[in-house]
Amino acid sequence: MRIQTGARTDLGRVRKNNEDSYQIEPSLELYVLSDGMGGEAHGEVASKMAVQTVITHCQQGENSRTTPIFGEPRSDVSDRTNRLTSAIHLANRKVFEAASANPDQHGMGATIVAAWMEGQKLSLAHVGDSRAYLLRAGSLNQLTADHSLVAEKVRIGILTPQEADASELQSVLTRAVGTNATVEVDADEQMLLVGDTVLLCSDGLTRMVTDPEIASTLLTSTSAQEAADRLVELANENGGVDNVSVIILRVFQKSESVLDRLKVWKRNSG
Amino acid sequence: MSRLVLKFERSTLKEVPLGTRPVTIGRAPDNDIPIDNLAVSNYHARVYVEAGSLVVEDLNSLNGSFLNDIRVERAMLKDGDSILIGKHHIVVDQVNDAALPLDSWRKAPAPRVNETMVLDTEERRKLFEQAAAAGERSQVSPDRLRVPTLSVLRGSTDQKEYRVVGKLTVIGHSKMATVRLRRWFTPEVAAQINKHEDGYYLGRGDWLPKINGVAIDGLTRLNDGDVIEVGRVRLNFLFRE
Repeated sequence: MRIQTGARTDLGRVRKNNEDSYQIEPSLELYVLSDGMGGEAHGEVASKMAVQTVITHCQQGENSRTTPIFGEPRSDVSDRTNRLTSAIHLANRKVFEAASANPDQHGMGATIVAAWMEGQKLSLAHVGDSRAYLLRAGSLNQLTADHSLVAEKVRIGILTPQEADASELQSVLTRAVGTNATVEVDADEQMLLVGDTVLLCSDGLTRMVTDPEIASTLLTSTSAQEAADRLVELANENGGVDNVSVIILRVFQKSESVLDRLKVWKRNSG
Repeated sequence: MSRLVLKFERSTLKEVPLGTRPVTIGRAPDNDIPIDNLAVSNYHARVYVEAGSLVVEDLNSLNGSFLNDIRVERAMLKDGDSILIGKHHIVVDQVNDAALPLDSWRKAPAPRVNETMVLDTEERRKLFEQAAAAGERSQVSPDRLRVPTLSVLRGSTDQKEYRVVGKLTVIGHSKMATVRLRRWFTPEVAAQINKHEDGYYLGRGDWLPKINGVAIDGLTRLNDGDVIEVGRVRLNFLFRE
């Protein structure tokens, strides 16, 4: 399979600085996006540090088998996925140490969502309310569970999704990278199929653009970059109250034969 | 010592001593008196000492603050006064001790409603308690204590039974597949099962699987005893002791 990528980050219409960071590492097929917090320019410091640490640690893991693993490896996911969560544990430690060492940066932190391909398999890890979505056969599914107060309350059944959408507490996270000495990292895996689209995004997108709008934009864009551009524009048109960042992966057949295209067409049309 | 008492109907929920710092009231968890109610604004009101008097100030809240049932923006308080915010009452209990400090009042930092913040440990603990309470109400599923398995009813596979232990279980021709289908022209990934917090979900691969004879429509939760059909292979999803 072949992956076409598109990405964009934008200040939005209200904020004065962009605290989001993202990086695509084509040689590793690794995609990382982070939304920083902490006022002044510190959110930006935190998100950049988090993204950079994840890329570097995964690269080192690929280069040498003896690269240490941070955090407790899980038995129900692949080595690749464990390496990705290890990278986020390390990022947490680095941001936390920087914030502790520098009184100015006290309280800085970041969300993170990272995707790493291994053949057809997608490893996914995240902390906070940046999300991963999968568009498959025309329907959009959120792959990550937000670590926010309102989302956790919805999951335990003490708040309805409608109340959560209307809540003023949407900015309250239950987990973040760098705000505690340790952090719990969520991990997931998916086998990607030809025709799939994966979206990684900061909450600046999902607070402004509804899931159906996201789905129709992804479905009607001719390239991953066009989809990224259109999603950011849509977030800004709808108010752009926060920084907005997106990474998009579109999965194609390595060399597409007519038969393969027909298969995808058949799947997408149900 | 003087204090503010948070009441809901007849029960007392919280008591906060009045000191030199302003006491903040609102829905955000970092208030001195947090009130988790949709009618209450994030940073709704505050109470502080100014020139020796106790003052309540509404922070431009949506639904207002009421002193003895009159909507106020800023008002002096005396012992026994009741401030109504949403459906909660905050009662002033001024025990006459030393005069309130004169110069203690300083402006609290302006609330930054739109800033992202992370719950502190105390708030997280409360949330987990709520989660535990909700869990008790809904009963712990006995399925969690048993091992999900796929038992082969029909078709050519590399084993007769598989334990579903990973986050991802692949059914297909791929070397990565847990359930390896051996027939020719079988796709690398014919179907997949994802483990989520609340159970196991069957999703499509290059084939569209069926559950109990019906083609799935997107990710579908598996129940004990379900029969999964992937091409010509039939698998029985069972929770085993």
